[in-house]
Formats: sequence, structure tokens, C-alpha cells
Amino acid sequence: MTPTTNASAPSGIVLNIQRYCSHDGPGIRTNVFLKGCSLRCKWCGNPESIAFKPELSYDPRKCTGKKACGVCLKAPFPEGGFYVVEGADDTIHVNWDLAGDCDEALASLCPTGALEMFGKRMTADEVLAEVEKDASIYRSTGGGITLSGGECLLQPDFSAALLKGAHERGMNTAIETACNVPWKFLEQVLPHVDTMLHDHKLTNTERHKKWTGVGNERVLANFKKAYETFPDIDFVARTPLIPGINADEEHIRAVLAFIRPHKNVIDYELLPYHRFGLGKYLSLGVVYELDDYKTPSDDLVKHLQAIIDEAFGRTGGTR
Amino acid sequence: MKEIGHGNFQRRIAIMVGAGYIPGLNAVILGAALAAGKLGWEIVGIRDGFDGLLYPDRYSDGGLLTLSPELVANLDPTASGLLGQAPRIDPFHVRRVNDDDMVEEVDMSDELLKRLKKEDIDAVISVVGGRGLSILFKLHRKGLNAVCVPRSIENDIAATAVSFGFNSALSFTIEMLDRVRQAAQSARKIAVVEVLGDQAGWLALQAGIAVCADAVLIPEIPCDLQTLAARLKDKVTPRRPYGLVVVAEGAKFLEDIQTQTVKPSVNSLKASLSPLATGDASDHVIRKSGQAAETVATRLQLLIAEETFPLVLGPWVRGGTPTAVDRQLALGYGAGAVRAVEAGSYGSMVTFVPPDMKFVPLTDTINKIRTVPSDSMFMQIASSLGIFLGREL
Ligand code: SF4
Repeated sequence: MTPTTNASAPSGIVLNIQRYCSHDGPGIRTNVFLKGCSLRCKWCGNPESIAFKPELSYDPRKCTGKKACGVCLKAPFPEGGFYVVEGADDTIHVNWDLAGDCDEALASLCPTGALEMFGKRMTADEVLAEVEKDASIYRSTGGGITLSGGECLLQPDFSAALLKGAHERGMNTAIETACNVPWKFLEQVLPHVDTMLHDHKLTNTERHKKWTGVGNERVLANFKKAYETFPDIDFVARTPLIPGINADEEHIRAVLAFIRPHKNVIDYELLPYHRFGLGKYLSLGVVYELDDYKTPSDDLVKHLQAIIDEAFGRTGGTR
Repeated sequence: MKEIGHGNFQRRIAIMVGAGYIPGLNAVILGAALAAGKLGWEIVGIRDGFDGLLYPDRYSDGGLLTLSPELVANLDPTASGLLGQAPRIDPFHVRRVNDDDMVEEVDMSDELLKRLKKEDIDAVISVVGGRGLSILFKLHRKGLNAVCVPRSIENDIAATAVSFGFNSALSFTIEMLDRVRQAAQSARKIAVVEVLGDQAGWLALQAGIAVCADAVLIPEIPCDLQTLAARLKDKVTPRRPYGLVVVAEGAKFLEDIQTQTVKPSVNSLKASLSPLATGDASDHVIRKSGQAAETVATRLQLLIAEETFPLVLGPWVRGGTPTAVDRQLALGYGAGAVRAVEAGSYGSMVTFVPPDMKFVPLTDTINKIRTVPSDSMFMQIASSLGIFLGREL
């Protein structure tokens, strides 16, 4: 993992810039997804954002097949990286173990765009120019830019430059983070943040390690220090709700106990897990864990939401 | 005799096993150890996939188990756990937590080759399945003297007639199907039993023949559910008020294909697996277990006036002890791998195409799947026995 450190001309690996979003911060927003993550949540819905470097993707719907094209079946593509199944149609299959290291130069040889790279290096100015296209909407709705991922704090120079630039252009700024990074990265980015959406995934550190790859001690320490060091930021806690993993009262109450003493934690949102992203998994060759995780029932979500509403002194049931 | 620093052995080789349990792994190790011993070679076992090489500090014996004559003399060929296993064996993408407490994947293939060199190990025998063959091919391209032994419950590895592990799974599947038949008989229902076989229907077909199932549905022949229902309507009578349908996990249905918007090729994920997957090796397999049985059981119940029940054998058949056939095969494959090393036939896989045991280049087997051909003897047998194979042949 190589977070960017060149502060003079900050650039970073951007996965996607999504306009007209309304869920991740106030108003209408543009979400900028950065690549690279320091956790490996087993339920991850953004598999293409995990690796730090750009990586190959394959869209079989765009591929014209061996007879019409077949470019990837020959050098300079890696031997065995692409193939057709004997006797079947002439559609290209990808052996990701052998093709996964293909770079931009190779992918660009595909004439139809079936082979593409997920993620590209962009400068902060390039991203801001894109984001600014909707400046008038941000101003009228109180919206702005949200950095998401992956883990946007893994590219602290780039993220700080983007958010600072957005502030200078009069936009509201938000980040979405799991905070499994050294504190110095937060310290560098948070001065430019208006709203921080942050994930409370699991309370128990051993279970956190089992499901995400690392324990949660540093994550919780970062949350607490951030609440205390940056009183002007609006913090919004979140939990991706997955039955059998964290969709239980105990976790919700533990999170509430953690956040409620801090008045700048203005809300706690539940994000009921749903199976999105199958197409992305197919394109990347990552196999979707189809029946591993169930979507929480409406009743369960309502029940847990009611606990949160009560803790925040809201009445009238679910929002 | 060349001295290489390990006693008086002429050379030193290693053996490792890939992810996933297969009955009789010890028998392969035994076969290789006996054959290597006969040549005056030392053979060591790498613990837990490649972990024994990559993380020697984690093991009191340094991660390598010397397969000494004493150990080999007492090795139980019916067991499988001698070397242990790792959930992933890809040294190009080793997941670890770095000093900053962040999860990352790193390429440790250079370290792996360096450690082998340091240990004077000049060839590695790997007992692996389909995906492992690709990884070993990549390592071979990087300079590893690799020889592979095919292992597959589904017998879908190309270039060999029988992979080791298949026969044990087949025997157990047949035993379970016999029991299910009794249950169906007493309940007066149609049992729909799903067995492993994502892209190749060998297990379903051969087991279905052995128990004289009413129908066997395999990925190679998309099933016409209307015709299946009509056939079962004829077969299930007051005198024989039950039925047995064996369905492979990867069975396809004509009605799905006709309504499919995405090209069918994207479903062939098992052969297009990613090093980028977010979980352990098991996550590389689409978890669609049970869907095929559910589809058939539900559709049949809607189409005819019979009650059905779905059952999934799935991973149950991966465990247990090896059958006599698998024990012989495993010993033969182990010994055959040593012969391949002796012949300097690296980047190869040992194959058993009766009556011969040979070695073929890995390029002859990766990216290919051994499916049931339409003129297969087993298809003809099934057809003669009146077993419906998804559509009228
Ligand atoms: S180069 Fe692109 S369009 Fe051509 S066969 Fe390969 S994937 Fe398909």
C-alpha cells in the first residue's frame, strides 16, 4: 500500500466520480470514490475499491469474441490469461490468476473497451474541475463533495487537497471512512471536513478482526480523538447492518453508549445490507458471496432504528 | 553421488497440498516419498500450503517436515492431514496485516523461490485443483520446477481421465442417494438431490447411473423442465409412488437460457477466478449451493400433481476416507510426480489416461474443463437404463 505523499502536486487513484448523490452528506453531492482500503470486510459491496492500484476489469457484454477480434489471446497479453472454452461459443474467458496483472497499456489494446482499468490517477485540480460542474446545485441545496472509497484517508495528501480546494470553492465537504489508519492521516484531512460519516462495524475486537481483518482498538481510539479534537465537525455514525454479524441490539446499544457522550455526533444511521454490486464482481472476476449474508428484515431494521431514535430523543417511530 | 548439504541424498525435493480437503492426501505424499526414497532423494513436506515456506517462524520445525523413512513407514494412507492446509495458496497475493495495522495483499513469490533455493529444494510437487494449477503455472514461469498432481471431487480437470478424490466422492454420493431413495419411497415423494458439479456432470451422471435414478441433470445438457415433468408423471405411478432426480449444482435450464440477457459465458466463473477476491479460498466459489435442487423441486411441484423435496449433498462428499480406487490412484500419482521430476518434466501435470500414467504441460490443462462429451459411454448407458438426461436425446 503506497499512500500518496507528494503534497506539491497532489494526485491520487480515483475509482469513480458519481454526480447527483443525496445519501452521503447534506444536499445534492458529488461522490468521489478513491481506491485502496485497509480493511477486508467480508460483505464488501465495493470490491473494485479494495486494491490500491488500478486493476483490470472485463465486461463480456462488450467483447466481440475470438473470431471477430481475439487480440487478448495473443502476445503481448500473458499466456493463459484469456481463453475460449473448446466446443462452446467463442466468448472470451479470463483466468484472473494469470491476467490479473495486466496494466493500462495492455488493456488499451482491447478495441471494444471490454478490457478496462478500474481506477486512474488524477490530480486534485482535475477532480475539482469535474466536481465544479455542479457548483450551482451544491450552492442551492447546501451540498458539495463527499470522498468515499475504499478508504479515502489512505491518500491523505490528495484527500486534504481535494477538500481544501472544495472549501475554497464554497462547497460543503464530507468524507466516508472506517478510520483504520494512523491518526496523523486524520489530523491532516479533518481540518477540511464539514461532515464525517464513519462506520461502527462490530463492537467486539476479536469479531471485528474475524470479519474485517483487524481489531477495532485503533478505529475506536481514532473516533474518540476525532470527536474531541474537531468539535465543529458533524459526525454521523453508521453501521452496515448484516444479520448474523452485527444486526443485533447489543451492538446498536454499544455504539450508542460510545457516541452519545459526544454532542458533535449528530446521528447514527443504519445501512441495511443488500446484495448490490453483482455486476461489478462479475467484471472483476471476484466471486460474489451470494448466499452468505442475508438482507435484514424490515421488522428488525425498524426495531433497531427505534432504539436509536429513542437514544437521540426522537419520537414518532422510524424516519 | 552429489553432496548438497543434506546428508548423502542426491537431491532434495518438496511436496505441498493446495486448499480444501480431499480424502487420501496422505497416500499421494506416501507415493511420492517412497518413490523419492528409492531414487536416493530426500523429500520434505511443506506445511499448510506454502505457509511453511513463507512463514517458517510460525513452526517449531521451520515449516518443513522431513518425510523420513521412519515417518513414511508409519504414515496412514487413509488419512489426509499430514501437512495441513491453508485456505489460500497464492504466493502472488498473500494477505497480511502490515506494521501500520492495515490489511494488504503482497507478492511473496520471490521470497518463496529464495527460500526454496536456501533449502536446496530444486523441485516442488503440488497436489492441487483447477485454480492451483494456474498458480503453479505462474510460479513455474517464474522459475519454479513444478510438477502437479490433479485432485478434483468433480473430476473436471482436463487432460486426465480420473483426478484423485473423485472416486471417493462418487462412492459416498451413491451411498447417500440409496438412503434418499428409501426416504422418498416411504414418503411417496420425488426426491431432488443436488450433488457437486459446477461445470461438469460426472458425479451426478455416474452416481445417477449407479442408483438408477429417474433423471440426471448435468451442466452439459440444459434441461427442459416441461419434458422432465412429463417423464416423471409417467414414471411415478401408484405401484411406484416415488421418484429420484439427481441434479448437478451447475445444471442449466432451457427456460433460464431463453430469458437470459447476459451472455452465458459470464456464469463460468469457476474458471475465471480472481486473485482479488475478498475472502479465503472458499470464497472463490460462487455460493449457489442448493439453488439447482430448489429450482427443480419447485418447478416439478408446479407442473405435476406430485410432492417433491430438495436435498443438497454439497460439501458432505468432500470428507471421509479414500476408496480403494483413490488410494491406488493417489499412490500412483505421487510416484508418477517423482518420475516427472526425475525426467526433468517441469511445468507439468501427471495424468492418468488408462493404461498410462504420463505428464503433460500445464498449458494442456489450465483454462480447460473436462466436461461430459455428448458421445460419452456414460450417456449411452444412462439412456439405455431409461434415465432422463434433461432432454430427449
Ligand atoms: S481484445 Fe477485447 S474485444 Fe477483443 S477478444 Fe479480447 S476482450 Fe474481446
